[in-house]
Amino acid sequence: MEPSRDTHATLVDLLDRILDKGLVINADIIISVAGIPLIGVNLRAALAGMETMLKYGVMQAWDEKSRAWEREHRKKNVLSLVEGEEIVLKMYGSYYYSKGIYNAWKPGYFYLTNQKLILYRQDFNEITFQIPLEEIKALVTREEAHFVKEKKKQVLCLIDKQDQVHRLSAVEINQLKDAIEQKLVTMGLSLESSPVLPEFDKGPIDFLAEGEEVTHRGEKVWYLVPASGIQQETWRPGRLYLTNKRLCWWYDFDKKLIFDVPVDRIVSVNTEMRKTSGLDSKKEKVLDILYEVNLTKRTASFTGEEIDEWAEALNRIISGKIGEETETCPQCGKLAPAKELLEEGCSSCGWVSPVRDRKSHRVKTLT
Amino acid sequence: MAEARYLYCIVEGNEEITLGNIGIEDSSVYTISYQDVCAVVHNCLPEPYKSENQEKVKIWLTTHAKVVEVAWERFGTILPLRFDTIIKGEEGVLPDENVKKWLRDDYENLRQKLAKLKDRAEFGVQVFWDPKIISEGLIGTNPEIKKLSEEIKSKSRGLAYMYKQKLENLLKKDMEKEADRYFKDFYEQIRRCVDQIKVEKTKKLEEDKQMLLNLSCLLFKGKSKILGEELEKISHLKGFFVRFTGPWPPYSFV
Repeated sequence: MEPSRDTHATLVDLLDRILDKGLVINADIIISVAGIPLIGVNLRAALAGMETMLKYGVMQAWDEKSRAWEREHRKKNVLSLVEGEEIVLKMYGSYYYSKGIYNAWKPGYFYLTNQKLILYRQDFNEITFQIPLEEIKALVTREEAHFVKEKKKQVLCLIDKQDQVHRLSAVEINQLKDAIEQKLVTMGLSLESSPVLPEFDKGPIDFLAEGEEVTHRGEKVWYLVPASGIQQETWRPGRLYLTNKRLCWWYDFDKKLIFDVPVDRIVSVNTEMRKTSGLDSKKEKVLDILYEVNLTKRTASFTGEEIDEWAEALNRIISGKIGEETETCPQCGKLAPAKELLEEGCSSCGWVSPVRDRKSHRVKTLT
Repeated sequence: MAEARYLYCIVEGNEEITLGNIGIEDSSVYTISYQDVCAVVHNCLPEPYKSENQEKVKIWLTTHAKVVEVAWERFGTILPLRFDTIIKGEEGVLPDENVKKWLRDDYENLRQKLAKLKDRAEFGVQVFWDPKIISEGLIGTNPEIKKLSEEIKSKSRGLAYMYKQKLENLLKKDMEKEADRYFKDFYEQIRRCVDQIKVEKTKKLEEDKQMLLNLSCLLFKGKSKILGEELEKISHLKGFFVRFTGPWPPYSFV
């Protein structure tokens, strides 16, 4: 028998030798090579290619088997269609399901048939949503704020003949929309051309008092909800509104205002980079608002989108630069420029803004 | 620029020569001598070669092997170094001087090692068996196993399963005994034909082959004929396979 050194396997042998064997110098003039054994292992695995694959051959078979089993059992759930019903389009998507306390996007597959639009969830064999095509009154896409990063979500609003709005989301929302529209055209049906999207989930509009108007809105603002009972203080997502009268934060989950303070109670505004979660060390810009209620000072903290803009807007209010609009004096009702009212007080009844009042107090106590 | 020396091997000789641009990344390979030993080196930066790119590392490794090979041919007796051995310079000490200093400090040890490896080469011997063929043979020879495998046929499915387990356990034990026996036999057989021998870890291979024996053998260059003949005998046994590789530079005997 003759020794050989030209096969693939001998290359592995050789590399074993170069990496694991060979003279090793123990001296401090040697550069340490801690990473090397690792390279060796990986490389050997790659070189062993053929062998390793065979070694894992068993695994492969097992993998194939379990996959086949899974495929087969998955097949058992099939969307049942009525006779004559044909699938025109199938697309992954989700439906905003809202019933009782359950509110969530439920994912599944949209099936557009020649009769209906269906959202089917194969794993649960559940039809989450379905609507006969002739019941569709209008389709509108719009962007909605999303609580994930800065992403906006494209949502397809489907308005039915009862003026109910269903929110749909899909991989290719426009493709889905087009497909439905086309189908409707072939059926001789037409959609309302410029539908008015009923205000829904525009969040909380009904909290506004008469004459109150939203001047700033933030659809993705987190508020540090103060501790209460056994609940520790926690960041919660919601919406922040600045009206001509108040600063309010609407908690999406409870669907109510949790934070609500008249603008003239706001003493100061500050932003700071700090940690908002114990989990990661990432710092976020936090807006701290110092306000006064019943003579006690409190702070409220917010983070989220456009914090700087919020700080700016609030600062403008504090410094009384609301603008040149006119405002009625809260005491006598006389119309006067807002700036003048806030900074100098009412010229007819002598009313003075509490903000200014406090400021002058401070000045007095200082001098 | 270059503040360190990458070492390929130590050779016997005192000539300071260059071997051309055959080194890792085409660097120029040359010798640094101290008395009658030389280090085969190239100039490099004082940091180890490392990369996530396996192709790159593979090329480095094969280049390392090639340089060692060239030096081996040129100088006859060598001590191959492990991949990525780099000697750095120090403040006020050039890397070349550091290499020399190391050769001087380790001179006796290196001389001894070189003497042991003079004109010798390393060969790899790996013996495999096919467990299926071997176990079939065992079923025929072991009366207890034979009896069990007869009885199994008349048993119900549940019992047959238990029998099968028992049978497999017995067979496994027998296989282990056989493996031990063959290992000793082969080892003795091979040891007689070589100068030095090292038992290496066995590795897992293909499904139908098990590595029984993994040896590194040191013998005089060109004297592998007797070993080859012994291995030939082993490879003729039913169910056995032999892999005989080499000659390698004596990586395993330094």
